Amino acid sequence: MTTAGVSAPVDAAGAVQFLGKESAYWRLRIKGAALVMLTLGLYRFWLATDVRRYLWSNTEIAGDTLEYDGLATELLVGFLYAIAILVPLYTVIAVVTLANTVSLPSVAFGLLFLALVGQYSLYRARRYRLTRTVFRGLRFDQHGSPWSYALRALAWWSLAVLSIGIAYPWVQSNLQRFKMRHTSYGDLAGRFEGSGSLLFLRGLWMWFLVIGPIVVAVGTLSAVTDWDALGDALAHDDDTLGVLAGALLFGPAHRVVLTCLGLSAGIALALYPLFQAMTMRWWVSGLRFDGVSATSHLRTAQVYVLYLRFALFIVLFATVAAVAGTLCIFIIAALLRPGLDSDASEIAATALTVCLYIGTALGISVIYQVAVSYAMWRLTARSVELSGTERLANVRAEGAPSSALGEGLADALGVGGL
Amino acid sequence: MTVSAPALASHFAMPRGPGVYFDGMSSARNDVWIESTETGLRIISVDRLVIATWRFEELRRVASPDGVLRLGRAGDVLLARLEIHDQALIDAIEERADTLDRTGAVERALRRKVVVLSFAAMASLTVTAVFGVPALANRVIPFIPLSVEHKLGNAVDAQIRSALDTHHLGASFECGRGPDEAAGRAALDTLVGRLDVAAALPMSLRVDVIRRPEPNAFALPGGHIYAFEGLIDKAQSPDELAGVLAHEIGHVARRDGTRTVLQTAGLSFLFGMMLGDFVGGGAVVIAAKTVLRSSYSRVVEAAADAYSVDLIGKVGGDAHALGVLLARIVSDSDEGMKILRDHPETKDRISAINAMATSVATAPLLDAASWQALKHVCAPLAAGSTGGQARRQGDGATQNR
Repeated sequence: MTTAGVSAPVDAAGAVQFLGKESAYWRLRIKGAALVMLTLGLYRFWLATDVRRYLWSNTEIAGDTLEYDGLATELLVGFLYAIAILVPLYTVIAVVTLANTVSLPSVAFGLLFLALVGQYSLYRARRYRLTRTVFRGLRFDQHGSPWSYALRALAWWSLAVLSIGIAYPWVQSNLQRFKMRHTSYGDLAGRFEGSGSLLFLRGLWMWFLVIGPIVVAVGTLSAVTDWDALGDALAHDDDTLGVLAGALLFGPAHRVVLTCLGLSAGIALALYPLFQAMTMRWWVSGLRFDGVSATSHLRTAQVYVLYLRFALFIVLFATVAAVAGTLCIFIIAALLRPGLDSDASEIAATALTVCLYIGTALGISVIYQVAVSYAMWRLTARSVELSGTERLANVRAEGAPSSALGEGLADALGVGGL
Repeated sequence: MTVSAPALASHFAMPRGPGVYFDGMSSARNDVWIESTETGLRIISVDRLVIATWRFEELRRVASPDGVLRLGRAGDVLLARLEIHDQALIDAIEERADTLDRTGAVERALRRKVVVLSFAAMASLTVTAVFGVPALANRVIPFIPLSVEHKLGNAVDAQIRSALDTHHLGASFECGRGPDEAAGRAALDTLVGRLDVAAALPMSLRVDVIRRPEPNAFALPGGHIYAFEGLIDKAQSPDELAGVLAHEIGHVARRDGTRTVLQTAGLSFLFGMMLGDFVGGGAVVIAAKTVLRSSYSRVVEAAADAYSVDLIGKVGGDAHALGVLLARIVSDSDEGMKILRDHPETKDRISAINAMATSVATAPLLDAASWQALKHVCAPLAAGSTGGQARRQGDGATQNR
């Protein structure tokens, strides 16, 4: 026996491979979803860790696979820390609300602060994941102030909202630049070379197609609306939303307005895979680690196929869920029939309803995780071409692991990612 | 070097095979030869030099793809890694190194523990929610100044009024303001005055009748009580109305509005923070909170009924009258699922009221003339008014009928 059989094939040097099997990932996700439901969410830290271990371990770069080195207990401890930080914060909010000293500026300030904490925790969570990512015996690392990132992110995203999405490409390029500038693998410094202007030029036509009908709708609406009558109606009825919805749905030119809005939503849905493929190619192709650079050959058609497959799975699942739901309704009706007037049967009926709902929600979530998230990871990994990989052979160690506090905060605030 | 025959034999029996070694200081990939000795692994370079020796007890399995054993060293600051693809060698190492958890039994036991512990956590959460939250609310209430309760009441008042006042009635929202209604208002004040004296509340009481068709009444934190026109219509004696008012005074005296706010906040806190966000978790939280809030509310309502019986007894009224009025209001309405009701079942309420009401009424709480005036505290409306649609208001801080 020689050692040659172990070494990476020479032709794999510039390639990224994905070795995972979808059937194994289905098992992982289904079992995980069941346990998450059973433990009312506590198992999610173990599931997240298993998922990362699987994805990382099966992603091979230049002949060697990544390794996820994090522990579920670290995520749990991070979550408990986050709770310890958020409990006093929520208590203050509750007391302020109770004392009835809420004003509009203080609400706005509170929301901004929460958004800031959300961005802060996203950055810290990224640091946690990177420092738990090992490749060839060396860690990735992220430095840079999370507060500095959070302030930038808040400013940029505000700009994106104010510009109705026009600023989105620059939001992405600037935030990615900040993140990658502070990312390293051993002594290889990361950077991001994607151009916001390029993304803008590539995506502008999509923006026009989606926003255009909305502009037409708003224009039509403001031209035909009798503003005095509407103002009058608003002044005399507390049901502001009802009046506005009525004006929109039954007012003059409502057909034009609704058609435009429907058109915009339809175009957005149809273009979404294309948009995702485009931004993914742009993002991957902008990643650099010193002399190592990535290029994505992700094809748009592949992303469309991915979503069609997802839609097919959902249709199949919906059929099964409808049959199960009908059965459950019969059982619930039997439990609640007038003669059987006991607390136990009522609790059973409620529990069954809740289980049915959770089962459906978890089913859809599992299908999404496998058919979209996992499939997208696989597609993206396989479409990457690396150049300058010879530099990966002699990187020196640097950096130390970080705490999972950011992940805990992100989890508690509901902004967690993969 | 000479070796003895047995040593040579064990030397040849020694499991060995190829592997890949990363030293943790650089990303350089080293093809190595691995020998599994009695005590650990010997890692030998292509130049036949021993690069490292790892003892079995310090071996740690780290995440790897299928068919690959990836090892690290416990307690090592560097992340030195050893990768083995040779199945025979993997088997041999797993057999000797107990720390590698070959069958995964240790990991499975840990996962089981997580599931069992989370069941225990759920049980303690349930016990805390059912007994702890109401008990804690009772303990906290004395520390909340009446001024805060008053502020809370004012805030809720504004919301409630905007929800209930439909502006379509062509008359003042409150009855008792018009010239035809003054006598009724005076009769109401007499009735409330008698109850107020007997109750001896630490806060001032204010009762208003509002133009709403539903037979209902509710109390706000801080002592403001609203009785609906529909209730006055349904009541056939002053004692019946007094019974409902006394029930609402019970909510005020026991500070139930504040109690409900505290209980709701406690539940949100318990479920919002402890249960993490997982798909479908929202449904569990909403279902659990609804069932628990209803159960708290049933306790609070039963206590207010008891207070009403007591107070009506003190002023010499007929305490049974509350039950009579309740029976009339909900004679044939379906009350829905028991566990979701915020009031105890009416027939249970009535029998509880009757069991508590031991005093004998001497005379009606108002004379016939005053009662007739009170029945007309809401003067008839101008023709054509439709009496706005009833809108449900589900605010946690109000205590209904």
